[in-house]
Amino acid sequence: MRVVVAEDVMLTREGIARLLTDAGVEVAAEVGDAASLLGAVRVTRPDAAIVDIRMPPTHTDEGLVAAQQIRTEHPGVSVLILSQYVEPHYAMRLLEEHPGRVGYLLKERVFDVANLLDALRRLADGETVVDPTIVARLFSRKRRADRLDELSGREREVLGLVAEGLSNRAIAARLFVTERTVEAHVKQIFLKLGLDADPGSHRRVLAVLAYLRSTPLPTVLRPGQAGAARARQVSSPAPRQRSGAERGRTPHSTRAWPGSRCRLPLWSGSGPSPPGGWPRSPRR
Amino acid sequence: MGRAGPSAATPAHLAAPGRLAAPVRAAAALAGLAVAAGALAVAAGPGRATTYAGSSAAGAALTVCAGLGLIAAGLVICLTRGPGWTGDLALGAGVCWFAPVWVAWQDGPPLIPSIAMVAAGFTFPLLVHLVLTRPTGRADSKPARVLVTAVYAEAALTGSALALFRDPYFDPGCLANCTVNVFLVRSLPPLARAVEIGDRWFTATAALALIVVCAARLARASGPARQRLLPVHLPAAGFAVAVAARAVVLQKTTVEDPFNPALFTIFAIGSAAVILLAAGLVSGVGRARAERRTVARIAASLDQAPAPGSLQSALAAALHDPGLQIAYWLPGAHSFVDASGRAVPEPSATPGRAVTRLTRTGRTVAVISHSGAVPGIESQIGPAIRLGLENERLQAELLAQLEELRASRARIVETADAERRGLERNLHDGAQQRLLALSYDIRLARAAAQAEGDAPADGALAEAAGETLGVLGELRDLAHGIYPAVLAEAGIGPALGTLADTAPLPVQVLGAVHDRYPAQVEATAYFTVAEAVDDAARRGAGHATVSISQEGGRLMVTVEDDGPGDASPMVAAADRVGALGGSLSTGRAGCRAEIPCG
Repeated sequence: MRVVVAEDVMLTREGIARLLTDAGVEVAAEVGDAASLLGAVRVTRPDAAIVDIRMPPTHTDEGLVAAQQIRTEHPGVSVLILSQYVEPHYAMRLLEEHPGRVGYLLKERVFDVANLLDALRRLADGETVVDPTIVARLFSRKRRADRLDELSGREREVLGLVAEGLSNRAIAARLFVTERTVEAHVKQIFLKLGLDADPGSHRRVLAVLAYLRSTPLPTVLRPGQAGAARARQVSSPAPRQRSGAERGRTPHSTRAWPGSRCRLPLWSGSGPSPPGGWPRSPRR
Repeated sequence: MGRAGPSAATPAHLAAPGRLAAPVRAAAALAGLAVAAGALAVAAGPGRATTYAGSSAAGAALTVCAGLGLIAAGLVICLTRGPGWTGDLALGAGVCWFAPVWVAWQDGPPLIPSIAMVAAGFTFPLLVHLVLTRPTGRADSKPARVLVTAVYAEAALTGSALALFRDPYFDPGCLANCTVNVFLVRSLPPLARAVEIGDRWFTATAALALIVVCAARLARASGPARQRLLPVHLPAAGFAVAVAARAVVLQKTTVEDPFNPALFTIFAIGSAAVILLAAGLVSGVGRARAERRTVARIAASLDQAPAPGSLQSALAAALHDPGLQIAYWLPGAHSFVDASGRAVPEPSATPGRAVTRLTRTGRTVAVISHSGAVPGIESQIGPAIRLGLENERLQAELLAQLEELRASRARIVETADAERRGLERNLHDGAQQRLLALSYDIRLARAAAQAEGDAPADGALAEAAGETLGVLGELRDLAHGIYPAVLAEAGIGPALGTLADTAPLPVQVLGAVHDRYPAQVEATAYFTVAEAVDDAARRGAGHATVSISQEGGRLMVTVEDDGPGDASPMVAAADRVGALGGSLSTGRAGCRAEIPCG
């Protein structure tokens, strides 16, 4: 596997590069800003780009902009955004543009090489990666009427892994259950929360994140009404986010998604894999 | 005034040169009437065959109307305190107008025709002077001043030469007076003849020059100024044409025979032009009086506490000068402001625009920039308007100070925000990065310890790593509290979403704000909501609802909660909102802020 590392702080950049090299991942290029990153991706054609969200010249969202450009121009290159912000907004913005093969991780997490390699492997599998700290923060959000209370412990666990971007298959492997069990759990969760999104679709991550950010009214709603009621008072007001929630409810039959934007969530097994296989996460 | 005095403005009391005293004018007017009556008598008697007035009833009527018209206009201008010497010039020109008739009084005292001969030459210079000093009483360009000086000098020279050396007996062109010249010192017929012909052609040239100067003034003048010039300049041009034509005809006929049809036609045209000129002078007086009455009405309306700037628009309307501007002088700030307190550059005189400084007990109150054609604006502004001006100046000063105060408050908040942002950046790029590097080093050390099988070191390093991550988390929350990066990068909508994520109580955000606003507005809205949510949590509220929307040019932010008691006054948020010119009210249900957002 070949990656490009884009990070303006030399210490961090070299640390990540060294971790990757030690783990047997080839670092094709190390760059310090978005422009060099795009150039390096064009030239070296890596499998993934690890990108700091905040880079010169403005130190704002260069990383996100570059990520969108890479995903559009080079659909085969995964992008992992590194950030110091526990900020669901950025993660959701990333996912809205390109729901698959993008990830948002906190920087401190990548210094655990197992986490970093796991994330890269999941991206290569076509999954999405959302930092568990962000998911945990959304779960701990105060709500007036908490439908999450209706979920069983195992269902909450599955919901958290869905929010982190894992596919059913990955969740099944993580929880040592069958994929069919996970599918059943996900279906049940979506029913209980009133989520209309196709539980098998790639967009479900966004739908779950949007749900976790919303503040449902304390009225008991039937599942069919919940989506519409929430859409009126969803707490994340950016148009992309709101439309994300709506997209989650839109049945596939009424909306034609471009194939590249709606990949199958399950790994087909045809992706490239390094010699000797992937290093395994200690959690698995 | 010292250094406080604006330099370009003309002190208004210098704008009006001295005038003849009233008794002198009354006498001149009576004399003018007598001269006119006498001229009629002369025309009916000895001048029957030698003057235009005597040649026909029309000639008499034109002569009397033109001369008396000028005298009447002069009187009216003098009585209404018109600008400069205009009235006196008109009186003088009117009297001189009758001189050619008096020349024909051959059976009277010989002094009269002699004086009349000299005086006749001064009608033209007086009219040129009168026309070119309209409407301000001063000649406003160098060509005009040169022309006026030249025609006076030439008339004086010609008059003296003819008086001293012209012997009517030997003058081939003599008609009305062929007998007397009491001033004659030595008879020099060729010289007198040459002077007469030279005078004729000089006058013709000067008449053409007058037409050119009048045309140039009309072309240069702005709309309202041209309106004032036209009624006098057009007849003046007509008169100049007649003067030039007379010179051409006389060159052929030598003798000015009133029964010559061409000459009489020229005379009629010239007289009609003078009559129109006199009428133009009187109409100008009427116009000025109307403007003054309107200005007086403004004074009467001043007791109704007018809005800032209304004095300027009222004066502009009254004087038919839409470009009129009043700049108020602020001695404390050493600058000029308009009525609403905004700083304006010091008005300066430009082509077509004049400035008048208005003072009160030696201090400058205001400088008025107005069309150059408005004569004596100072004299038109009565005491009541002066009070109004002083009042508006004080108001402008107050508004300027308020604006300065508001800008200063906004700057303080802006500086504080910039410092907050800088602090957040420093934490992000400094301490947080170094802690990350530290946690990386700890991991490396831990890997080495594990490789060597050093379990105690591994345990200690694991603890250190966990501690580092804890500090990192706390530092991140601190940086976010100082200034949320998402606010600057994504705007108020996403920032409020994050605020709701981490709030200590359920927070519902209503209203979707997708637009970006100035950083100060976004920061003010955000920190107001943050303070209100904290306050709600402190009072034990079960939930809070945040509404945000734009109404007109204002961002409306409302935070409602179900906590007991009134919301706190929220001083910090109130200061922020106030610094941007908005308002914040707190009450039982929460708070409501209105923030101007451009």
